[in-house]
Amino acid sequence: MKLTENVLEIQDLVKEFPSVRAVNNVSFDIKRNTVHCLVGENGAGKSTLIKILTGAYMRTSGTVLLNGEEHNPHSPRDAKQRGISTLFQELNVVDQLTVEENLTLGMEDTRFGFFRKTDKINKMVNVMKSLEPSISPRQLVSTLSVAKKQIVEIAKAVATESDIIIMDEPTASISESEIARLFKIVKSLRAKNVTVIYISHRLDEVFELGDYVTVMRDGKHIGTKPVAEIKDRSELIRMMIGKTVFEEYTPKEVGSQEAILQVKDLCNHKLNGISFEIHKGEIVGFYGLVGAGKTELARALYGVDEYRGEITFKGKKLPATPDKVIAAGIALVPEERRTQGLFTVLTIRGNVPVMNMEKISRYGFINSTQERKVTLEYIDRLRIATNSTEKEAAKLSGGNQQKVVFSKCLFADADLLMLDEPTRGIDVGAKSEIYGIIRRLSEEGKSIMIFSSELPEVVNICDTIYLLFDGSMKAMMKNGPDIDSEKIIHIVTGGE
Amino acid sequence: MNVETNQVSKPLLGSKMSNESFITLIMVGVLFVLFGIACAVVPNFYLPRNMLNLLTNNWYLIIVGIGVSFLLITGNFDLSVGGNIAMTGVFAVYFCQAANVSQNVLANGLGLPYGVAVLLALLCAMGIGAINAFFVAKLKVPSIIVTLGTMMLARGIAQIVTQGAQRNTSLPDVFGVVGSMSLKGTPIKVSVVIMVGLVIAAYIFERMTVPGRRTYLIGANAEAARLSGINVVRHLTFLYLTSALLAGITGILLASEFKAGVSNRALGYEFDALVISLLGGVSIAGGFGSVLGMFAGAVILSVITSSATGLLLSPDWQFTLKGVATLIAILTQRFALDKRKG
Repeated sequence: MKLTENVLEIQDLVKEFPSVRAVNNVSFDIKRNTVHCLVGENGAGKSTLIKILTGAYMRTSGTVLLNGEEHNPHSPRDAKQRGISTLFQELNVVDQLTVEENLTLGMEDTRFGFFRKTDKINKMVNVMKSLEPSISPRQLVSTLSVAKKQIVEIAKAVATESDIIIMDEPTASISESEIARLFKIVKSLRAKNVTVIYISHRLDEVFELGDYVTVMRDGKHIGTKPVAEIKDRSELIRMMIGKTVFEEYTPKEVGSQEAILQVKDLCNHKLNGISFEIHKGEIVGFYGLVGAGKTELARALYGVDEYRGEITFKGKKLPATPDKVIAAGIALVPEERRTQGLFTVLTIRGNVPVMNMEKISRYGFINSTQERKVTLEYIDRLRIATNSTEKEAAKLSGGNQQKVVFSKCLFADADLLMLDEPTRGIDVGAKSEIYGIIRRLSEEGKSIMIFSSELPEVVNICDTIYLLFDGSMKAMMKNGPDIDSEKIIHIVTGGE
Repeated sequence: MNVETNQVSKPLLGSKMSNESFITLIMVGVLFVLFGIACAVVPNFYLPRNMLNLLTNNWYLIIVGIGVSFLLITGNFDLSVGGNIAMTGVFAVYFCQAANVSQNVLANGLGLPYGVAVLLALLCAMGIGAINAFFVAKLKVPSIIVTLGTMMLARGIAQIVTQGAQRNTSLPDVFGVVGSMSLKGTPIKVSVVIMVGLVIAAYIFERMTVPGRRTYLIGANAEAARLSGINVVRHLTFLYLTSALLAGITGILLASEFKAGVSNRALGYEFDALVISLLGGVSIAGGFGSVLGMFAGAVILSVITSSATGLLLSPDWQFTLKGVATLIAILTQRFALDKRKG
């Protein structure tokens, strides 16, 4: 096979979803045997692009050339056979099998259905040994660390002669020392005739590892440059966030109000010594990238995950189970709407009152007139698009489903609302409606905590912003017209 | 990605039947069709007396079916009910049998007063429920494994207490009263009255009460239920204890009817209770179903079995008929629901 200079050429690639162009006319080349970093904020279009390359999505238009030939995989398996392997965050290894069995999984040599020992196994094991001698082929994969499991997957990709290995945030869940080992291996892959597409939110990794970097924003390709030509982090950050136009929002002065929630030195498996205060009527944003510990913080406060530390709510120690936390006056809109927030097989009426059934019942008997009245009231108040209280929640659009989850929490009569990624996966119109609801609630004196990985969201509606990185609270900022978004990105990507 | 329609039209009240009512109606429809066919081909099938039988002769399955259905709605099994019926019946007899009256071990009991014996036996039944609840709700062991275990445990205890046979001697007369008594001037047994009362209570629980609603919420999405402040462990415990209590009541009624505690009583009832729940439209995936549907399922089952008897099919055919009916009923439900969605 004639080797082209570019292993991958992407031309005018477009992917459209019903309400959004997730990948918008993207064109760039990836040079053979390099480490090519791909960066951008959440929702920039990186994952969609990767899903097209690996056959999980079909493109809307455009071309992709792999080794100079048209590449249009119809499934992830197909993409793999054409030479593109992917190291997902959710690793693709089978814990109950040995390393050796994992390496050959899906390509075992057999005769009459029985396994045969062949050279293939030796070859694979040799590749793995050359990457990381400390892993034994007979070891059970469940005994390996996450980093070593990644190495097993990399070895498999190298041994099957993949041209490209895509790595999706491989360092998100491994320790410092393991990161160093992984980097050594990634760097060594160039010599093994492998190109790496490396996706990361940690900008330092781009400078440490990358030969080239491509920046995406809002589905568009912003630029591809040799890493050596980039001056510093702030140049990269400027490419990532561009001239973000923030909506006019004048944050309130709430510091003088009494604190409703005080958190002191909160620690658990993911969080390191987090302390902060929330005041009455305040909208507080917790901003950080994926894996920074936002959801873990929300879950700990809500009594779902265990923690050490002191949480005082309205002057009393906060209990540590969800039913008692709700009774104390805190309600959560969870991160995953469909699996954690909504009862999709039930009707809107079945969903809205569930967090405060006492309010529509007497001696344990539900007052169905009142139940309907309450449901209609929330349909009206949050403008849920439906023609009936009896519509199944599953049949609503994402934005309207989220409004139902909001209704549930509002009906709980909470004084403090925790919103985890409140506008994830919903379109622009519904988003601004939800921002409107949040502001109205704060005017009514409710305190609101927003956990978000979208910077414009945090800057648009919050009075105070806390920045999280790797489970620690890195900074607290008062929002205002002069808020420095470059500095924020600098901090949440691991800068000092 | 979602396309949002921002028009809010005037919300209507209950404009459409819920899927549950829809399925219940379908199953009632199936019931009438089957009944019509049976009337046409089986002699004397339409007689009022036979119709009364159809509605009532599965009373014991319907009582345990209440607990089984509610647990199924939460997405959990209770396979222990059959064994529990046998164990409770045997215990009630053993507690009530006169003490030290015979050389025969099986004729000697504890000699407790009738009321005390019944209460103690019911407590033992709820002990099985407590074991189920502890492992399933608290330790999150899959319910099919746990209740398979307690099913054999309960049956095993019944066999030990009866030495693999039965206890039927030295019982006071009062023991046989409740199971064999009928309403004055009618052929309707007290057990059937109890069943009807329990079905009505269960229906009220299911439709009108907050705990009834929690059953559906847990089945629809246990994680969302927990995050919405429902104490899932406590509610499942309540349902397992209730299911065990209902099995215990059935066990005592059956023991009274036969004036005997038999170790292999109610063999396979756990599966029959599942069958009538499924025939009645309770979803095995959870979140869906109704006690009235289960009742209709029980009547469908008796229409099938009694028309088979009426057609002089040998009893060997019963299992096959039940199997075919179950498969057809479940396929009908799936098909109807898919149609409705599309």
